[in-house]
Parts: sequence; C-alpha cells; structure tokens
Amino acid sequence: MNGLIEQWIDWLPSLVDGLGVSVQLAVVSLLIGLPLGLAEALLVASPNRIVRWITLAVVEFGRGTPTLVLLYLIYYGLPSQGLVLPAFGSAVVALSFMTGAYTSEIIRASLQAVPRGLVEAAAALGINRWGTFRFILFPEGIRIAIPALMGFAIQLFQTTSLVFLITLPELLSRAYSIGSTTFQYTSVLALAGVLYLLVTLPSGWLAALLEKRMGRHLA
Amino acid sequence: MISVANLKKSYGDHTVLDGVSIEIQRGEVVAMIGPSGAGKSTLLRCLNLLERPDSGRITIGDTVVDLPAKIPVRTLETLRKTAGMVFQSFNLFPHLSVLRNVSLAQEYVLGRDAKAAHQRSMELLERVGLADKAGSYPARLSGGQQQRIAIARALAMEPEVMLFDEPTSALDPELGLDVLAVMRELAASGMTMVVVTHEIHFAQDVSDRVVMMADGGIIEQGDPAQVLSSPANPRTQRFLKAVIDR
Ligand SMILES: Nc1ncnc2c1ncn2[C@@H]1O[C@H](COP(=O)(O)OP(=O)(O)OP(=O)(O)O)[C@@H](O)[C@H]1O
Ligand SMILES: [Mg+2]
Repeated sequence: MNGLIEQWIDWLPSLVDGLGVSVQLAVVSLLIGLPLGLAEALLVASPNRIVRWITLAVVEFGRGTPTLVLLYLIYYGLPSQGLVLPAFGSAVVALSFMTGAYTSEIIRASLQAVPRGLVEAAAALGINRWGTFRFILFPEGIRIAIPALMGFAIQLFQTTSLVFLITLPELLSRAYSIGSTTFQYTSVLALAGVLYLLVTLPSGWLAALLEKRMGRHLA
Repeated sequence: MISVANLKKSYGDHTVLDGVSIEIQRGEVVAMIGPSGAGKSTLLRCLNLLERPDSGRITIGDTVVDLPAKIPVRTLETLRKTAGMVFQSFNLFPHLSVLRNVSLAQEYVLGRDAKAAHQRSMELLERVGLADKAGSYPARLSGGQQQRIAIARALAMEPEVMLFDEPTSALDPELGLDVLAVMRELAASGMTMVVVTHEIHFAQDVSDRVVMMADGGIIEQGDPAQVLSSPANPRTQRFLKAVIDR
C-alpha cells in the first residue's frame, strides 16, 4: 500500500501537467465551439434555403462522424492537403467542430422551448426581431439550455482523452507513457481516473447548483 | 380612432374572420363577447398585426394598413407603439425584474434614457398599486399582480389604444377584481379600449358598446344594457344564457 502511494506521488506532477492540458483543450474547444453552436443554431433557422441546408449538413457531419475520425482527418488528413496543424491545434479544431454541432442542437431546441407568448409580448411592445432575440429569446433560451450544455461540457472533457491517439501530452497519454515504462498500467490509469473525477464531479455539482440558481426566477 | 374594413383571415380553408368591419371612436371602451372559436382573439391580434390578415384595411390613429400588400417595417413599428396589448397569460418576461419588465421597451423602443424610463415605470407601478414590487421577479407574484404589471408594461409605451384579450380569464375571480379595477380606472381616464371578455358585469358597467362575435363575424352590437339584457339575435341570447348559467 505504501508502495502504491509513493508511486502515485512520483507520477502525480506529470499527470497533473497532463490534466492541465486536458482542461485547456476542453476550455478552448468550448470557447470556440459554443459561439459556433449558437451561430449554427441560428443559421439552421435561416429563411434562406441554401444557408439552411449547408448549416444542416455541417451539423449532421459534426454529430454523425465519430470524434476520433474527425481527429484523424484533421491531424493526418489535412497535411496531405498541404495544411499541417500541431497536435493541440488539430485537437481544438476537431473538438470545437464537434462542440458546435452538438450544442447547436441543444441551443436550437432551447430557443424553440421559450414560450411563444414571450416573443409575442415583445413584438406587441414594438421590440424588433434583434431586440427580441437579445433581450428575451437569448437569455430565456440559455437558461433552458444550461443543464444540457453543462452535461455536454463534462462529456467533452472526457472526450479529450481521445487525443492521446495523436500524441498530445494530455492526462491519458501521460498515464500511458508512465505505464509503458513502469508496466504499472492499472495503477497509473486508476490515478488518472481519479484525476478525471476530480474535475467531472465538482463540475456536475456546479451544474446542478447553476441550474437551481438560474431556475429561481422562473416559474 | 380604430377603423377596420372588411378584414378577412383564414387558416388553410378554415375562415376565422369573414369580412369584419368596425369603427371605434377615441375614448370608447368596446367589450367584445362571443363563444369560443368566434374569432375574437384573432381580430384583436390582427389589430396590432401579431396575426397577419389576408385582406382588408386597418386604420389605428394615423397608421393605415392595407392588405394583402406587404407591410413596411415602419408601419408595423408605429402600429405597435400606438396599440398596447394585454394577454390572457400575462406573458411577463420571467428573467427580468418587474421594473425591467416595464422599462425595457421604453429604453429600447422609445429611446428613453434609463432614468426617465425608471421614473415612468415607477409612476405606472404606483398607478396599478404595485410600486412595492418593483424589485421582485414575476414568478413571485400572484396572477392578478402579474396582470397589473403587464398592463403597466403596455401603458409605458404611451399607447393610444389598449387591447385586452380575456385579461382575467386565467385568474381566480377574486384576484381578477384588482385587474378589473385597474381597467375601470383606465377607462375612466379616457383610454380607448377593446376588451375581449367573459366578464358580463365589466361589460355592463364599464363598456360603451358591446360587440357580439360568432363564426368569424360581428352578429350584433350596441348599447351594453340593450345587448346584454335584451339581445335581438337568438345566437346572442343563447350565448348570454350559457355565460350567466355557468
Ligand atoms: N394559429 C392558428 N392556426 C390554425 N387555426 C387557428 C389558429 N389560431 C386560431 N385558430 C382558429 O381560429 C378560430 C378562432 O380562434 P380565436 O382564438 O380567434 O377564437 P376566440 O373567439 O378568441 O375563442 P376563445 O374564446 O376560445 O378564446 C378557432 O377555430 C381556432 O381554432
Ligand atoms: Mg380567444
């Protein structure tokens, strides 16, 4: 048992570094992917048929393609088209794309769930379409979307572990490389699992708390 | 103040307004009654173009809407500024405080600065008896309070006409009284009002004219006492009997 603790303490700095990379990757992908998702949600409802179709195709591609395939396409496939991205950049592109596609569906459904009466009340007050979106639809829709978006963010964080396959030194790949030198795979992966949990569990609690707070004013 | 000429509206092959015409004078209070599905809400919602009529002409104040031609955005804006609306389900913005509910459109649509809007909102909240609720959120308030705030919100745009679609139907009778009191006061102040209602007492006491709608048209109208106590049309007789018996 003592041996295990000592091992873990030995490995911890490297794994915590890796955790940092994982968190960074998830945060950057969300920062790019969420606005993308909002844009896609709005464009899917565009009155212009062509815009609608193209957006729909992008969304369906993002949702339908396994993330690993996206990752490989971008990291190994794009260089053959003359575009070379570093591992972190490739991972950000793939995960943001995937985030945009999934969150656009969440956001679209949430905007649709805003009661029609509120939009009509805004219209009856003479508030134009942009004002209605900015002051009513968006804030109301986001409140509806928050729980699902938080759930997605936690899932995305776990998905970052896939990028060990393109040799980005995030948490899982650190654990793997330690495993391959010490042959203590089970032990090091267990520690990695604990570190993942240290992020996902509090995030889940935060999500629940936020949901409660946001819902407070709503009937 | 309001003039509607030969207004038609269908959903698919279901005709909801079958060539409705009506003139309403400035300061007049019109109570609109009729069975469910008669087209009362549709007519009201056509007046501020929440619903787009198929054909006909609507004049409110100086604004004229001729259909089926395209409605310019400016026309839409002035029409909605001229006519305030109160809904059966209040439709307050749940994420905004009472004060913000009343101030938002003053700032965004009328371009009032925050201070002027705040001041006007407080005056109106005072008028509907809810100044002490300025900082509350709608979900904290009773239905009757929410509806009075919805009235204040509509009044904040300084409309020349107020449209009410069954403002007390979602309320317990007792809570409805406060709302009706506010509407009485508003009527007494000279506001032009069109009120769709099942409140026969309100129609009797407050309105200048009762309009009975059925099957997409106005089948009878006139002095409240006459229409409500000795209606000429058998359809109106049946309807009023049903309302009173309930
Ligand atoms: N968006 C819509 N699509 C299809 N039909 C509609 C729509 N809105 C209203 N209708 C139909 O139009 C008719 C008139 O509806 P309206 O709401 O104007 O009636 P009303 O007189 O206000 O009735 P109530 O007393 O029940 O409120 C009804 O038959 C209704 O089903
Ligand atoms: Mg109705």
